[in-house]
Amino acid sequence: MSIPEEIDFEVDAEDLTYAQGSRELGAPSLVVDDLYVTYRVFGGKKVGTASGVKPSRLKRFLSRGRTHVGGLTYVEAVKGISFIARHGESIGIVGINGSGKSTLLRAIAGLIPPTKGSVFVAGDPSLLGVNAVLMGSLTGERNVMIGGLALGLSPDEVREKFDDIVDFSGIGDAVYLPMNTYSSGMGARLRFAISAAAVPDVLMIDEALATGDAAFRKRSKDRIDAIRDQAGTVFLVSHSLATIESICTRTLWIHEGRLVMDGPSAEVCAAYKAFVKALDTR
Amino acid sequence: MQSAGPTPQQPSIDGVAIPERTAVTAPEAGALPEALGPLAPADQMRAVAEAAGLRQMGVRPPLREYVRTLWMRRAFINTLGSAKAYARNQGSYLGQLWSILNPLLNSIVYVVIFGLVMKTTRGVENPIAYIVTGVFMYRFFDASVSAGAKSISGNLNLVRSVHFPRASLPISTTITELTTLGPALIVMCAISWLSGLLPTAGAVPITWRLLLLPVAVGLLFVFNLGCAFLVARWVAITPDLSNVIPFALRFVFYASGVIFSVSHVVQNDALAFLLQFQPVAVYLNLARSTVLDEPSIPLDPVMWGLGVGWALLAVVIGFLVFWRGEERYGRD
Repeated sequence: MSIPEEIDFEVDAEDLTYAQGSRELGAPSLVVDDLYVTYRVFGGKKVGTASGVKPSRLKRFLSRGRTHVGGLTYVEAVKGISFIARHGESIGIVGINGSGKSTLLRAIAGLIPPTKGSVFVAGDPSLLGVNAVLMGSLTGERNVMIGGLALGLSPDEVREKFDDIVDFSGIGDAVYLPMNTYSSGMGARLRFAISAAAVPDVLMIDEALATGDAAFRKRSKDRIDAIRDQAGTVFLVSHSLATIESICTRTLWIHEGRLVMDGPSAEVCAAYKAFVKALDTR
Repeated sequence: MQSAGPTPQQPSIDGVAIPERTAVTAPEAGALPEALGPLAPADQMRAVAEAAGLRQMGVRPPLREYVRTLWMRRAFINTLGSAKAYARNQGSYLGQLWSILNPLLNSIVYVVIFGLVMKTTRGVENPIAYIVTGVFMYRFFDASVSAGAKSISGNLNLVRSVHFPRASLPISTTITELTTLGPALIVMCAISWLSGLLPTAGAVPITWRLLLLPVAVGLLFVFNLGCAFLVARWVAITPDLSNVIPFALRFVFYASGVIFSVSHVVQNDALAFLLQFQPVAVYLNLARSTVLDEPSIPLDPVMWGLGVGWALLAVVIGFLVFWRGEERYGRD
């Protein structure tokens, strides 16, 4: 999450048309069954030795070297999440930092293999992110080609969509300059535009709406609506509850890798808001 | 959660009921609700997924399917590979001219040291051409293995943001090295030919055998690809191995007769025999037999046969080993 997160207050008032839940739901597009994702972390210290008993001096001496040699920790980022999403649904995912939102999104996009459990998806899911890797020393034009091909488009399709992508990103002639000359906003917009070029069955968006000016946000919202209208499923991870409430009909609340609430956006967001507030005052 | 919807009966697909959560109960203000458990037994979830025609994610695809998707991504692999080679020479005044200058400077070092300073023959008639050919071909192998080793771990961001067969990465890094080798080959042939004009060295005439050089390079490319697959998986699973690979490569460097003729140095017959037919030595021999005019390195059908054999063996084993780890890349 390298981009500014707290853009809650930047959402324009006219964006706040609450998503209506009256949309007809189709067949399941995503089935997540008891999903676990474990990361292997080298050189970390074992966390959570909360037994209360202080280990003996000898034990501590022996275990001291473990951090430097052979220090291996398994971090459970997602611990047993199950849900079913259906065509035409747009689902928000909320949770505090480090709760496993991005990992969940990547696992259901098939990018991080599950340690346990299974994920079933319709078609080729596509993860929209502002951190998709493009090559800084190459021009935006070349990166559009690489990004488009990476998403599974053919070279001809990318060439066909090139103008659309550049228009959507709104960076103009800067597309012919190397990407490392771009401002962070320009880079993020180009990445978003590239990944939005393909229309997938299941679209997952990780914080991407936070980038760009009001006009760009409007365009991204329109694009998401278009995908949803084509009976796709949209997932959105964002720290902006206003964005989630305006785009998503249903919201999942993830806490410490577990699903704690799953229901209509308004209810879940309200409960989550109250929880964060309580955390603050504690 | 569709409890408010117009259909009171449970939704189903093809007769399989779609499990749903019972209506949410809002938690006490500021409290953390209890974690929700599994939605339904695994069999029922699987049945729903199958009825809806969904595909399971994060599992290794069958070999045939894997090769097919890889073939469909060939444009991506090519573009990524050549773009990386191009990006290498970006950010300097001379830009892409460095793809020629770099190997040129490199070979000048060898010409000066081995042709003008140390006037050793090493059992060959033209040591400069011998060494330049050896070094350039060896560097192709060395660079392919080093880059292949980092192809998964160095592109973890790409792996975690876009979905594609992971074998694309080692292939594209090997293509990057092949693209870098292209201009270097021209320099290699030119320097070899020029060295033949020196009075002390044997002549390096341009013959029809030069047409076989691309074939030798092609075989080495396939062999490199196999090695890149192998090390890519090893390093992705056990990152420590990336520290060992440079030493292993240096070992191969001395065992392959890159800057001296192995048979000229090694006295033990059995060892000399082994070193002569190990893959990297075979490819150096093939390349030299096309470029140089050494009586000790003739065009040898046995060597070409071995070259094809090693290449196929490496690429088949490497690919299978890499494919068997497909579902693990990205998590570690």
